[in-house]
Amino acid sequence: MQRGNTLEQLPTSVDAQRNAVKNAQEVLGQIILGKDKQISLALSCLLARGHLLIEDLPGLGKTMLAQSLAKALGLTFRRIQFTSDLLPADIIGVSIFRQNSGDFEFQPGPVFSQLILADEVNRATPKAQSALLEAMEEHQVSVDGQTRPLPTPFFVVATQNPGDQIGTFPLPESQLDRFLMRVAIGYPNEASERELIVGDDRRLMLDDLEPVAGAETLLELQKSVQKQNVSDPLIDYVQALVRFTRESADIEIGISPRGAQALVAAAKARSFIESHSGVYPDDIQAVFPSVAGHRLKPAGDTRFRSPSELCQHVLDSVAIP
Amino acid sequence: MKAQPRGTDGSLLQSLPWTLAALGISLLPHIPYLPIWITGAFVGCAAWRYVIEKRRRFLPSRWIRGGLALVCFLGVLGTYSSISGVGPGSALLAIMAALKLLETRRRRDQFVLLFISIFLVMSSLLREQYLWSLPYLIGSMLIIMTAWLRMSAGENDTARQSFTTGGRLMLYAAPLAVAMWVLFPRLAVPFWAVPVDTSRAVSGLSDEMSPGDISSLSMSDEVAFRVRFDAAIPEPRDRYWRGLVLNTFNGRKWSRSSEPGVGLPASEQISVSGQSFSYEVTLEATSQRWVFAMDMPMSWSLEKTLMGRQQQLFRETPIEQRVAYDVVSYPEYTVQTKLPHYLQRGYTELRGSNNQRSAALARQMREAAASDTAFIDAVLRKFRNEEYFYTLQPPPLGSNPVDGFLFDTKRGFCEHYASAFAFMMRSAGIPARIVLGYQGGEINPMGGHLIVRQSDAHAWNEVWLEDYGWYRVDPTSAVAPERIEYGARNAALDGIGLSWGFSAPSELLQKLTLTWDALNAKWNDWILGYGPDKQRSFLEWLGMDDPSWRKMLLTLVAVVVALIIGVSVLMMLRYRTPSRDRASILYDRFVKKTGLKRHLGETAQDFARRAAAESKLPGAAIDKFTAAYLDARYGPETDDAETRLRAALAAVT
Repeated sequence: MQRGNTLEQLPTSVDAQRNAVKNAQEVLGQIILGKDKQISLALSCLLARGHLLIEDLPGLGKTMLAQSLAKALGLTFRRIQFTSDLLPADIIGVSIFRQNSGDFEFQPGPVFSQLILADEVNRATPKAQSALLEAMEEHQVSVDGQTRPLPTPFFVVATQNPGDQIGTFPLPESQLDRFLMRVAIGYPNEASERELIVGDDRRLMLDDLEPVAGAETLLELQKSVQKQNVSDPLIDYVQALVRFTRESADIEIGISPRGAQALVAAAKARSFIESHSGVYPDDIQAVFPSVAGHRLKPAGDTRFRSPSELCQHVLDSVAIP
Repeated sequence: MKAQPRGTDGSLLQSLPWTLAALGISLLPHIPYLPIWITGAFVGCAAWRYVIEKRRRFLPSRWIRGGLALVCFLGVLGTYSSISGVGPGSALLAIMAALKLLETRRRRDQFVLLFISIFLVMSSLLREQYLWSLPYLIGSMLIIMTAWLRMSAGENDTARQSFTTGGRLMLYAAPLAVAMWVLFPRLAVPFWAVPVDTSRAVSGLSDEMSPGDISSLSMSDEVAFRVRFDAAIPEPRDRYWRGLVLNTFNGRKWSRSSEPGVGLPASEQISVSGQSFSYEVTLEATSQRWVFAMDMPMSWSLEKTLMGRQQQLFRETPIEQRVAYDVVSYPEYTVQTKLPHYLQRGYTELRGSNNQRSAALARQMREAAASDTAFIDAVLRKFRNEEYFYTLQPPPLGSNPVDGFLFDTKRGFCEHYASAFAFMMRSAGIPARIVLGYQGGEINPMGGHLIVRQSDAHAWNEVWLEDYGWYRVDPTSAVAPERIEYGARNAALDGIGLSWGFSAPSELLQKLTLTWDALNAKWNDWILGYGPDKQRSFLEWLGMDDPSWRKMLLTLVAVVVALIIGVSVLMMLRYRTPSRDRASILYDRFVKKTGLKRHLGETAQDFARRAAAESKLPGAAIDKFTAAYLDARYGPETDDAETRLRAALAAVT
């Protein structure tokens, strides 16, 4: 091969594609220890063309996850640290007047990358937040009346810190909905933590990380995920779940039709990664807390203390057809 | 009065052509009987309505429709000078259906039209019920059903779908129809009588015989009657089917006049001997009273049928519909060995006759002969030996037809010979008369029955001889013995084949004709002739003891209920549970095998793990089954998924 870049040897068969995903899971697992489930969910989100919201306390490896994801998949990566003085132009970019050419030249902002880490997204003002969220939704930005497409694939990993309440602007429900999944990372288990403490510096490991796939491969993977079989009984199941969330006394606002779409899209990616012959109810259950957790609004007097408990309650209450 | 919207919106475009087709096919069998203007008006209205719908025009106003209806009504009244009966009734029905089209703007109107179609189809059966009526009925009902389904069909449904659905519905209904037909009690006396269509021409023989009558019949292939013999079929020379007897001659025509009713009844003047033949005759409608039977009938089963004084059978009412009857005949018989003098005089009378040359010849020949029988032989010999020819196209005869025939043309058909023979006998003082009927008939090897056609119509003589009684003499057989042995058509073929431009029918064609005839005979026997007697014997044959109408009705109800249940079960079975749902059923069986209870919301994988841990079943088999189940229920649909699932379930033990 003249190009010398093995990344661009596109895996043609579905098996080869699955191998690429497996490899990515493996290398990511070496850096982020003991968080296989979260890695799998993050990959699912990416393959389902959705955006990911990581919500957890600082120091649990949110940034590390996003960075290593970008690195392992060979995507261009930019990080935007959201602060209260962040302006939309800081995200999208600005047109600068060039004196020698007498013309305005567009200076693309960090949003023109394939993978963006929007760190502590709830610290910025709603105006800045909505600039990013609009870009996520439209896959394009409009600057000075000109529409500019964003690169493909385009994947946003936003993090937010639930503990901070002062000086933050929590994302409203309508904007949370833009994220396919909301994932919490949680503390590592003891063995993993021990290795984190005594082992190599993760940052150095990240630098050494060799990409296992490329943007092209990712696009192919996304296409294959789309083709994952969705059977009638499975749709029955999804509808039963959605209906339950709308009718349950514990839930004030249930899953919207867009939420149901998101559920199936995420489950498709999960079933692809798991090499299932179609989307199984198991896939739905695996992604359900991440996909539905931030979309459900629990009733005021609910006995469930966290969204994940509520989600588990939903899963335990709906029969699988 | 509420104004109705007059415009059309094209919403009927999908179903209207089918409704028109249904109306058209239901009109089809009526067309030959209807005045041409009705068919024209029908086609016109249909085309007009279609254009209105197609171009979204307005329907004609109430006044135009009313005017048209009045004109058409008067037209029917003018054509038939009546509005009751099959003819005017169907004409009125057809024309009003056409006019109904002009106010059809909704589905409800279309329903009415389709009902009219069905009624038209059924009313065609009042006229005729041929074998081909059956395919016609099925075909037309299929089209009407399709039209019906087209009305409620969605926009994406094709006409083909409606057609197959209609066919399927009819198929479901077919056993019901058969059960109804077989079991519904037939009545000896019908509740109603079918009005006779007076437009039908009298067919077959007429009451008079003048030259040319029979030769015109001879060209007709139409079946006069069919005969099924219980045993052997008699020889052609014995197959004289007696119809009516002509005894009065006016110099030109022979006609019928009744014998004075003196002496013994006709049937008691007959004495028979030798072999008897019993057979069943299926006589086509003639609109006449003559009942045909082979000489000499001694018993017959047709009701209201008597034997006339000249041994002819007749029914009191004309035969307007096909009838079947059993007869026993004796070819060897003697009749009226004693003939009163006044009758002898009557049978030798030649009123107003001018055929002097023939009369002179007869007297001269009688004097030369030693006896009456010798004289008869001499006359027959004359026909045989002299230049007399048998032909279907005899030359025209003058005002003295007997003279003209005997001396000048010498060419003729059975009626000429019979007429001349009877004339000569009477001239010589021997009582003689002419019998009209049929002779011979073709044996259909397919059905094993005898077909007697109009072309077998024949005229022969009977002469009365002292002590012998009435004695049959067939002068035609003297001239053309092949007429008697092989039938009229074959005998005449030599003479007319070239001039008429047809040759003897090919063997294949003849075979086809005979097969068709055999089918028709069966159809008449079993379908149209399925009356009280046949129903009784058929039901007895099916195993019903002493069928009474009460039993028949009860059985019918039982059969109908059973059929409805049967069809419902069939339809339920036809609806196979989809493969995915069958996978679910198999999974339930698996769950039962494990002895565990599946939790609400527990996935198959979770359950498999629990089953492997808690039940005694082998984990590998459980995993294999679970994988097969997930493939069958949630994977892409494949042919073998279910098979593998069943195999995997069998392996779980």
